[in-house]
Formats: sequence, structure tokens, C-alpha cells
Amino acid sequence: MTAQSNRAAATKSVFGALDRFGDQRVLLSIAILIALPWLLPSQALAVNVLIYGVVVMGYNLLFGYTGLLSFGQAAFFGCGAYVTGIAIGRYGMPWFAAVASAVVVSTILAAVIGVISTRTRGIYFSMVTLALAQLVYYVALQASSFTGGENGLRGFTVDRISLFGLQINFLDPLNKYYVLMVFAAAALWFQSRILNSPFGAVIEAIRENEQRARACGYDVERSKLLVFMLSGSISALGGCMLALHLSIVPLDILHYQTSGMIVMMVLLGGARSFFGPFVGAAAFLILEDVISLWTPHWQIFVGAIFILFVLFLPKGIWGTLLETLPIARPRR
Amino acid sequence: MSGELLRAEGIGKRFGGFVALEGITVSFEAGQLTSIIGPNGAGKSTFFNILSGALSPSSGTLHFKGCELNGLPQHRFVHRGISRSYQITNIFPDLTVHENVRVAAQALSVRYDVWRNRARLAELGARADTALHAVGLLDRRGELAKFLAHGQQRALEIAIALVSEPELLLLDEPTAGMGPEETKDMVALLERLADRRTILLVEHKMKMVLGLSRRILVLHHGRLLADGAPDEIRSNPEVRRVYLGQSEGYG
Amino acid sequence: MDLSLIIMQLLSGIALGAVLVITALGLTIVFGMLGVVNFAHGAMFMIGAYAGLYLASLTGSFWWGLLLAPILIGAFGMLIEFVLIRRLYGRSIDDPLLLTFGLSYVLVEGVRILFGSDGIPFPTPSQLIGVVDLGVGFFPRYRIFVIVMVAAVLVLLWLMLEKTRIGLIVRAGARDPVIMQVLGVDIGRVWLAIFGLGVALAALGGVLAGPMRSVNPEMGSLVLAEAFVVTVIGGLGSIPGAVVAGLLVGISISMVALVAPEMATIVMFALMAAVLLIRPQGLFNVRGRVA
Repeated sequence: MTAQSNRAAATKSVFGALDRFGDQRVLLSIAILIALPWLLPSQALAVNVLIYGVVVMGYNLLFGYTGLLSFGQAAFFGCGAYVTGIAIGRYGMPWFAAVASAVVVSTILAAVIGVISTRTRGIYFSMVTLALAQLVYYVALQASSFTGGENGLRGFTVDRISLFGLQINFLDPLNKYYVLMVFAAAALWFQSRILNSPFGAVIEAIRENEQRARACGYDVERSKLLVFMLSGSISALGGCMLALHLSIVPLDILHYQTSGMIVMMVLLGGARSFFGPFVGAAAFLILEDVISLWTPHWQIFVGAIFILFVLFLPKGIWGTLLETLPIARPRR
Repeated sequence: MSGELLRAEGIGKRFGGFVALEGITVSFEAGQLTSIIGPNGAGKSTFFNILSGALSPSSGTLHFKGCELNGLPQHRFVHRGISRSYQITNIFPDLTVHENVRVAAQALSVRYDVWRNRARLAELGARADTALHAVGLLDRRGELAKFLAHGQQRALEIAIALVSEPELLLLDEPTAGMGPEETKDMVALLERLADRRTILLVEHKMKMVLGLSRRILVLHHGRLLADGAPDEIRSNPEVRRVYLGQSEGYG
Repeated sequence: MDLSLIIMQLLSGIALGAVLVITALGLTIVFGMLGVVNFAHGAMFMIGAYAGLYLASLTGSFWWGLLLAPILIGAFGMLIEFVLIRRLYGRSIDDPLLLTFGLSYVLVEGVRILFGSDGIPFPTPSQLIGVVDLGVGFFPRYRIFVIVMVAAVLVLLWLMLEKTRIGLIVRAGARDPVIMQVLGVDIGRVWLAIFGLGVALAALGGVLAGPMRSVNPEMGSLVLAEAFVVTVIGGLGSIPGAVVAGLLVGISISMVALVAPEMATIVMFALMAAVLLIRPQGLFNVRGRVA
């Protein structure tokens, strides 16, 4: 009995800490990601969870924490991937420079899309972000000399990575996983930092009550633009990881179905929770893997399950778990 | 006490063909509590929204401490020293009581900092607690705002407006929807606040206003009907005519 | 440039715009009434095209397909409203949007299961094959039919809005249950009917577009983006806005295709961005409501 309650308490505190403010949630999340290749049935799945987890985490900043339902996150995910690939393949940049320039370019793209879309509110915002992201898709489709058009971007491969003088064979899946995990760790740390920052309080206030936030003295539009850019830059980092991982960038990455998938993942996991995006990415990808074992039409089930989540479990797996286990989420 | 704080000159507001306000010229001294009263649809809320920057006037000018306010976006009004509360409870429901006030305090100093830890901005937290203490909510600071009773939410609303140390505090029907007990607490709170601050109050409850205010403005059909000390207003024949037969409702 | 070519391209743009108008109208009427943006609207357009194709081959006549597909899909839309969307009224405005997005996944994959993933040609009805000499050039007969058909539907819709009780309610844009009770209307039934109407319009757009584009399970995704662009330009909830913006977008696409074909799909988004920068509430949104 005592053992059991001890274990329950331990579980609670682990779950709680994963969402708690401060550095411990970053460290715990990283610990889970380190163990991930052994927790999941395949390493291929683990690396995808890692990548999509980062993309969705960036999106969660916008949707979960600020309450802005964008349907255009694929634009930044895709931009990060494309710029990484083009920088390496076309301009022969080293991988770290490629990643850095990809994040910068994507953040600028987010600023441009953000300036237009944050002028709108509510449903308009969702529609406009979707449309502008589709614009990026069609630009990539047309600029085929740069992007490879429908065939996707090819012709760049990173087979080894030098890190502090250390030559790492990037073709080895486990090496690749842990190199990419460094990116994920950096993203987790950055996200946690934003959430703990004064600006993190501003976006929460905007989510809770936009009118009141404005009356308190916040420039709501400018704050939305800033969070849009931050969110885009983190998702773009996920795009860089994908490009390094696959050595190709499929055009579909920019399609609004990808934006939709990101939305689904954040909802499956639990919007507005720190580790939820990784849970959501894992849930979605496992679902996809399992269902596609016996039917190629996995999307119909994913769609149906998503509908059920919207109807009955709007806080997602992780969010519901955090709520059901009575953890006093410390808030200040 | 001291000189003129806010001056409104010829303020008018139209919504399409509808004239909500016309030719309001009035000036407010620092350091007193002034009330604006009037029947429903008199233009009180419109006037209030103009004074707090939520609406821009169709005509006329606003001067605050000698500076013109016209064209200033709403979020800048707080920075100039004008802060407001709302008629309907308007708080951050899923944040704690303390965070509701702390985030309002933060708006004046740190807005776009994504790097520092907000917990380290201890001075803001202390200021929030001071404001909460002023409205009597300090012991509820850890609770989510949505779980407070209605009267306490209204008090929180005032703490949010108060924490920016406004030179002019605009309160829109702070006792709306309150029972007699809660109203009594709120009146006591307002009396305490009025000691040291310039407050502009929109209120429905005539009796309460007469007791609290140093000066009362009466709006009717978008125009200024009367302006004076409570005793003058009480005996003003036009005001009596407007409120005739409604006295019970405004008791 | 050749004047007759420009006129022909203009007419093509109007035909293209006509389909956009019908589709965007469905979206905008539903929003105006229910405050819901249907993210499965493109998928409804797509299943409308498939239903039209299927019914046409079943009955041997395009005309039965054109008549029955919107009715059938409209009824399906009412079922969706009744079973799924109704549960979400009063929750966050994001929820119906998310739900209909999930629904679009189900519909697209469902069509893949029933009809396969490949595109299917939609034969032009025999009476409308060929071209008409307009004096300045030859123009496909079918496209003229589309323009006339859409004009006729617009007139019908206008009559419905002006002359019927439900039209009065839609024009009032009344979402307030109290007002509806005062008017003595069963709001649930109105919502059901309006949602069905919106979906039926999408399906009609799908059937009409069928012979002009090939029919495939993904055709709805471009249509959804197009319909969004049109409603954002016109002003969400505005019926004249949808008509003007639909034609504007159709004509722009087809005119740009004349000079710079690779820019054709991009121009409408640029148009939308420009409108948002100048007039964020859209061209025709008189209430100045930014959703």
C-alpha cells in the first residue's frame, strides 16, 4: 500500500516536474528524449518524434500559450528545411551555417506573414495564415530551379558532422539521433526561457483576455507579431533537423495538410503544456505507423480520432493526464 | 488641491447616423472623486471609452496634463497615467489573482523581454501584492481568478487598474451586479482610494454617488445636463425631471 | 496584345470566378449565420464533384448529377451539423474549425477508398461539348453554361434572401438566440438548414467545376484556399463581397495567366495580402467586424 502510494507520488512528481516552470522541466524533457530511441519500437520513429516534437513545440507557443490558431505553421517548418538544403547543396555551406541561415530566413518569413496575419483576429487569422502558407507552397512549386518543384529538393547529403573537432558519422542512425537531439535540447531550453520570461506573461495575458491586455498597456498586435516570429523560428529549427535527417525536402512539407498535422499533434498531446508536443507527435506518428500496417488508408482513422479528441478530450493526452493526476501546477 | 489634470473640449461621438455624445466640455482637477451619472443610453460608457482610449472621438480634443491625447492608441493611455476598470468583469480568468495584477504592473516596464526570468522581477511582484492588499485580496493571491466570488473579481479588476499607479483612475460601475454586502465593501474601498487619488466614476446607484463624490456630472441624451457638487445636483430641477419616477431604481 | 485574346481570357476568368463565387458563398453564408468556418468546405466541394460524377454515370445524364449531387451532399452536411458541429456551439470558436478539419481528412480518405487515389476525367455533357463563336473568338460552350448557371443560382439565392423568412434571418445575421425567440424561430432548424445550404453550394461548385478540372481526392485543398482568399477579400459573412471578390479573383488569375502563367496561382494570395494591409475587414464588411 505504502509502496504503491509512494510510486504514485513519484509518478506525480515526475509528471508535474515535466511541466513545471524552471530548468527542471527542460532537464527532465531532455532525459526522456535521451531514452527515447529505447522507449519507442524503432529508431526511425524516435527521430521523427524528435523532429516533429520540436516543430509542434514551436507551434504550441503560438496556439497553446497565446491562443492563436494558425493553420500555416508548415510555411516555417518547410522554409527551415528548404533553406538548410539549399544552403548546403547549392552554396556548399557547412551544416551549422546552413541551419543558422535557415532559422534567420524563416524568422524573416514569419515576420512578413505575421505583419499581415496579426492584423486579423479569430477565424480570420486561421484562414489568412492558411492562405499565406499556401502562397509559400505555390512559390516553392513554381521556383523549381531553386526548390526542385514537385520532385522536392535533392542533392545535398550530410554524411559527417564535425563537432568541436570531433568527426561524427552522421549516417549512423543513433549518432544522427543524438546530434539532432542537441538541437531539440536547445529548442526546449529556449522555449522554457520564453515561457518564464516577462514576455511569456504577456502572451498568456493576451490569450486570457486580449481587450484587458490592451487596456493594461500592452501593444497586442506587436506582441502577437513577436510571438509569431519566435514560434516560426522554433518550428523552422525542426525543419532544419528534417532536412539534415532525410537529405531531401519533399514539397508536401509546405502543404497545408502539414500545418493541419501540426495542429493535430499539438491537440493530441495537449496544447499549453510543456512536454505535450512530444507526446502528441509520438501519438500521431505511432498511430500512423500502427494503422498503416493493415491499411494504407490510415488518414481516415487519424481524422476520426482527431474528431473524437476535439469532441471529448480537448486537452489532449498529456494535458488530460496532468489534470487527472491531481498535481498542483505551480503558478505565480 | 492641485491644478487641472484632464480637459475634454467639445467631445462628440457618432456611430453612423447615431449621435452618442455631443459637445462635452469639461475639465477635471487632480485629487478628487468625480462621478458621471445618467440614465441608460445617456452616453456615459461612450464618454468613458473615449477617456480611456478604447474609442476615438468623432470631434473634440482631450488633453491630459497639457498633452493632447487624440490619435494615441489605447495601450499608450496607461503609459500616460490613465487606467481603467470595466463594467463587466474583465480579468484574466485562468491566471492567479497575483499574476493578474503582476502582469498589469509589468506592462509599464517590461513588455518584450523574452530572456530574463520573470520571477526575478521581484519589485513587480511586490507592487502587485501592495495593490492586492489595497483592495483586500492579498490572502487570495494564489487562487485562479475565475474561482473568486463576483465582488472579489470586481475588486481584482480595480487592483489591476490600480497597480499602474495611475494619475487618473477610471472606474466603470464598480458595484454593477453586486449584492448589498458586496456594495458596502466596495464603497468602503472607493472611499479609501479616493483619499489619495483622482478617480472618475461611472455609476448607476444615485445614493451611493451622492455620498461618495465631491463633484457630479449628469449626462442625458449624449449631452452634459448638469455639473456640480452633490447638493447642487440633488436640487437641480432638470436632473430631478430626468430621474423622476426612476428614483426607486437609483436608490 | 491581341484584343480578342484578352476578351476570351476575361470570359474564362469569369467562368472560373463563377465557380469560386458559388463555393465562397457557401462558406460565407454559414459563417454569417453560425459563426463557423467550415474547414471541410473544400472536401465538400470534392465529394460534390464525385457525387455528381457517380450520379451522372448511374443515371446516364449529367443533369441528374447536377441536380441530385448538391441535394445529397447538402443532406449529408445537415447530418454533420446535427451529429457533430451542434455539440460545439458555445465552446471556443476554434473547436468547430478543428473538427471540420479532422472531417476533411476523413472525407478525402473515404473518397480514396471508394474511388481510388487517381484523378478521374469528368465528361462534359454532350449538349455542351464544343465552342461557340462569339464574334471575337471561340469560347467553350460549357463555360458559358457555367456562367449562366451560376447567375441563375445567384438570382434564386437573392429571391430566397429577399422574399423568405429564412432569408430575413440570414440577412439580419442574427446569431442571438433571444432575438430568434422573439421572431418565433426555431434556431436549431435554421442552423441546420443554413449549414446544409452552404454545403450544397460547395457541392454544386464541385459538380460545375468537374468538367473544367479533373476530379481527384485532393482537388478540395486548392479550392479551400481559394474560397478562403475570396471570403477574406470580400469580407467574411458578406454575400455581395463573395460575389465581387470571387469574380475579381477569377479574372485576376486568368489575366495573369496570360502574361505570366507561373504567377497565376500566386496572384490571388498577393491580392488578399494587399486587401488585408489596406482594409483588414475585407472590401464589403460594413460592420467593420474583424471576426
